[in-house]
Amino acid sequence: MSETKKVESAGLMKYSTENLVPFGPIHPALKEPEYFKLVLEGEKIVEVIPRIGYVHRGLEKAAESRPWVQNMYMFERTCGICSFVHSLCYGQAVEGLTMYEVPKRAKYIRLIIAELERIHSHLLWVGLMGHWAGFETLFMWVWRDREIVLDIVEAISGNRVHKSMNAFCGVRRDMPENMEDRIVEKMKYLADRARYYREVIDTEETMLERTEKVGKVSADTAEKLCAVGPMARYVGIQHDVRLNAPYAAYDEVPFSIVTRNEGDVQGLLRLRLDELLVSTDLVTYAVKHLPEGPTRVKIPPIIPAGEHSSHCEAPRGEIFYYVKSTGGRTPDRVKSRQPTMANLPTALEMLKGQTIADVPIVLTAIDPCFGCMDRMSFLDTETNKTWTWSGEKLRQYGIKYYKERRT
Amino acid sequence: MSEVFLQRVESCAADAKSKVTQLRTHELLTEVEQEYVKQYVSKLWNDGITRRLSTITGLDLGQKIGIVYHFWQGKDVLHVRTTVPKTNAAAVSIVDIIPGAILYEMEIHDLFGVTFGGNPWMDKKLLLPESWPDDLPPPLLKTSKPSEIRKRLKLEVEGK
Amino acid sequence: MLDKLSTWARKRSPWVYHINASSCNGCDIELVASLTPTYDVERFGAVLVPSPRHADVLIVTGTVNAQTRDRLRKVYEQMPEPKHVIALGACTATGGVFKGCYNAAQGVEEVIPVDMFIPGCPPRPEAIMYGVLKLLGEVK
Repeated sequence: MSETKKVESAGLMKYSTENLVPFGPIHPALKEPEYFKLVLEGEKIVEVIPRIGYVHRGLEKAAESRPWVQNMYMFERTCGICSFVHSLCYGQAVEGLTMYEVPKRAKYIRLIIAELERIHSHLLWVGLMGHWAGFETLFMWVWRDREIVLDIVEAISGNRVHKSMNAFCGVRRDMPENMEDRIVEKMKYLADRARYYREVIDTEETMLERTEKVGKVSADTAEKLCAVGPMARYVGIQHDVRLNAPYAAYDEVPFSIVTRNEGDVQGLLRLRLDELLVSTDLVTYAVKHLPEGPTRVKIPPIIPAGEHSSHCEAPRGEIFYYVKSTGGRTPDRVKSRQPTMANLPTALEMLKGQTIADVPIVLTAIDPCFGCMDRMSFLDTETNKTWTWSGEKLRQYGIKYYKERRT
Repeated sequence: MSEVFLQRVESCAADAKSKVTQLRTHELLTEVEQEYVKQYVSKLWNDGITRRLSTITGLDLGQKIGIVYHFWQGKDVLHVRTTVPKTNAAAVSIVDIIPGAILYEMEIHDLFGVTFGGNPWMDKKLLLPESWPDDLPPPLLKTSKPSEIRKRLKLEVEGK
Repeated sequence: MLDKLSTWARKRSPWVYHINASSCNGCDIELVASLTPTYDVERFGAVLVPSPRHADVLIVTGTVNAQTRDRLRKVYEQMPEPKHVIALGACTATGGVFKGCYNAAQGVEEVIPVDMFIPGCPPRPEAIMYGVLKLLGEVK
């Protein structure tokens, strides 16, 4: 009972349901929808069909029945890793509907927290790459350095993860006294560590063989598939909202974009570590040149009617918010688009032609939310075998595959 | 607002029989009929007026469903809005011009019930659970109530 | 006698299985951070295992949604007795910030029985360790 329906889409992503439908229960006791369905020919992947929605809770609908300011703290919890930039983007979209200006000091503080978040997110990612490649030492060391950033964030905002620093037209807390020297010293330490890790990934055998020439995509494809953030920059596209459309205080600080041309996962590693160095410089500069003045302008709870959109550069790419108001206390429509969704088509393209052992590295390279890496199912069109693996099983398979290749 | 960008967008809009309104310093809005959407987007993308599509948003406008495409170039943002009727909502897909739009159209299909003709994955669900009942209307319409959806999805224990 | 020995062994070295049921990942990264050298929960013998069949303790994060609810139940049924469940974070207690959302259950207790709640959004790694150790103190 298999349908033979071949549908072509734009020549770039071919889709075929031959021998795929129905899948049937793979394990009678564990029938559940998987995150990815991978179609193989022997060892090579020919097709990937995504199935997301594991973290779909209905935020956009709930936002329509809550006051404007409550939504800011709800959207912060869309993602734990880039929570500040979610509330920043929503805040900017709503501020654009009013006629109030954000004070300069608030813009600088927003920049500092956003860059600190970028540093912590990139360190987290480098650690995870080490974990998935079997390089546990890198994982432990990088996460220990990450604690330094979380300490600074806690000293400023009171929480390690959900900082809740944003308010409409300002920030909720001011920078504490005597933070400048501490921050500058810690940024210098982190920059040295980033340079050290850069050397490690360039020379360490385990990482090199798993990341070099893996996950290639052309610049033209990446642009057509609307890739954002590091996924666009690693093939040379100058796509960075901080450069193209500066927000907060990015037009006043010396910012340099980082792009690479290798187009493989090794290039992504180098790109994110270089970005980390740029971020430490930005934080140091902003802290030394923090202007005096108010940190907040209070605005009335009723937002004038209209529509506005705003975008920011989250650690994973461009984040986009669109807001529509009918002049009431609650929004009419809020739309949020996370960067992982924009990068998903590119990730699916990257997987084609790779072997199963490369799957964990390539999927982690796009920096997704890791709740989604739970389960993957496979179909081999040559042998007609189907099976399901957990993320951990896949990781062990990848490490064993490359170990055997070395001997 | 870049003068060049504004001029190029206005000439595209004139071909598609639509008007350009400037909402703010860096924000433009055009309203376009469904029959001209593909031609408009094709001109914007293939002539290089903009090569960045942020996302596609769905709106419940009462009698109709609005579909807004958000493009940007540098500091300038362009919203292209089109509408389809609420019952038997069928829209045209731009996946053959911009393949990256495939997931955005799937999302609007899930949340508003709009079918995009030409999108190969319209039979798949992107965000909603497999157990979504067929007779339950799409969640983001103004008439859908979260408490009712939770009951139908069996996420609520009776008596709580 | 053998019973006492196995209980003592379970208290000293709990094997933990972590499941993410639609979480924002805030609690997950604090849980993983508790494994890292700064907090190091492994010195108490706690180990993250890859399969629920080897686990003594189940840690759940996130508000459960329709896709993950069935998986959560199946995982709970797969765990061998005696088993304990820790619900991490405000989302698992009452739904947290997402109370009223159409695809979020209002607390994990609607799906599986829970032995301990660790509140916080997200709870600090020290709070997580304290919660796990307190639960073990209850193990008879």
